[in-house]
Amino acid sequence: MRQDLRGQRGVANRELGSTGMCGADAPPSSAPRILLVIPCFNEAGSIGNLLSEIAATGCDYHTLVVDDGSSDATSAVASRSSPVARLAQNLGIGGAVQTGIKYAARQDFDFCIQIDGDGQHDPRAIATLLNAYSKDPANITIGSRFIDNAGFCSTRMRRAGIRLIVLALNGLFAGGRITDPTSGMRLLDRSAIAFFAKSYPTDFPEPISLAWAMRAGLTVNEVPVEMRPRETGVSSIDGLKSASYMIRVLGYILLARLVRAP
Amino acid sequence: MTIVLPSLETVVVISAFALIYMLVLLKKTLQGKFDLYDFLMLSMVAIIPAAFALFPSLAYLVSHLTGVVFPFVVMFGALFLVVFAFMHNMTARLHKLERQNCALIQEQSLMALELQAKESGRSGG
Repeated sequence: MRQDLRGQRGVANRELGSTGMCGADAPPSSAPRILLVIPCFNEAGSIGNLLSEIAATGCDYHTLVVDDGSSDATSAVASRSSPVARLAQNLGIGGAVQTGIKYAARQDFDFCIQIDGDGQHDPRAIATLLNAYSKDPANITIGSRFIDNAGFCSTRMRRAGIRLIVLALNGLFAGGRITDPTSGMRLLDRSAIAFFAKSYPTDFPEPISLAWAMRAGLTVNEVPVEMRPRETGVSSIDGLKSASYMIRVLGYILLARLVRAP
Repeated sequence: MTIVLPSLETVVVISAFALIYMLVLLKKTLQGKFDLYDFLMLSMVAIIPAAFALFPSLAYLVSHLTGVVFPFVVMFGALFLVVFAFMHNMTARLHKLERQNCALIQEQSLMALELQAKESGRSGG
């Protein structure tokens, strides 16, 4: 794996295009290479639309669909318009996302942007993430539902839980100013790609990965985005599972604070 | 200190259990189902009660040295210790295997992707 990490600002200050950082607008020699990692588990009903929406942005994004052991036609649908990494077994969202990050590290991408395969994330918001990065480069840029509180913001119960996680993360780690730690829409720069390619949490990856990153001194920024209700499927965290999720996430965050960075 | 010796039946039953269980473990170890560490730890379930039954004076000496009134408490304590040590190591091994399994599955998928890209590059000219 390449270890030579280019400076953030070097990439950020490159010519990225005039409107929304579309690589297609920029000169080929200086355009940053952007990989969209789309983890999927039984998303045959929504992945096709999502890939069409990405293509409709007109931006020169590379995509990688990570099929996390789906039993439906996710791979078949996705492979019509994107490379697909098929995991032989379901590894969970953490294992699927890390597969994409490893791919980004090996293929020498400048940015790796994670978006969900269930249609919750509007591909047009990718430009917002890149725009935010060029203005204020941070190793991780999160698309937050809670800065503007616009669009779909999840249930009240879950928002209360997220607020607790926010308190823990911002209170325990220096420089924390996160509002949406469970957002699955995030941009990673080269430093974050190299960091997460080595180790990425398998349990509750979104909030815990932020704790690990902040512990290691990576910087985190947020930008408001609107999210949509998922097109298909249901969330795996509901009812009593939410309480168990909260307790375990808080425990992992505390653990991350107590243990030294690897 | 009054030493109460176990009855002959107790000694026979415990010894028979120990012998049969050790033979089963040995067979599975030779078949490669267990490694030497598993064999040693699991055989403690047979060895410890057998030692207490066959050498009661030793059991009393150990309970006297540890300040425990009843030797069977020492025996169960020793068994729990072995079981927890085994569980501790097993949990660590399980997590390591989980990580390795995850990394292998990721590698396999990425290599397949790479191969596919090379093949399509080749066929594309």
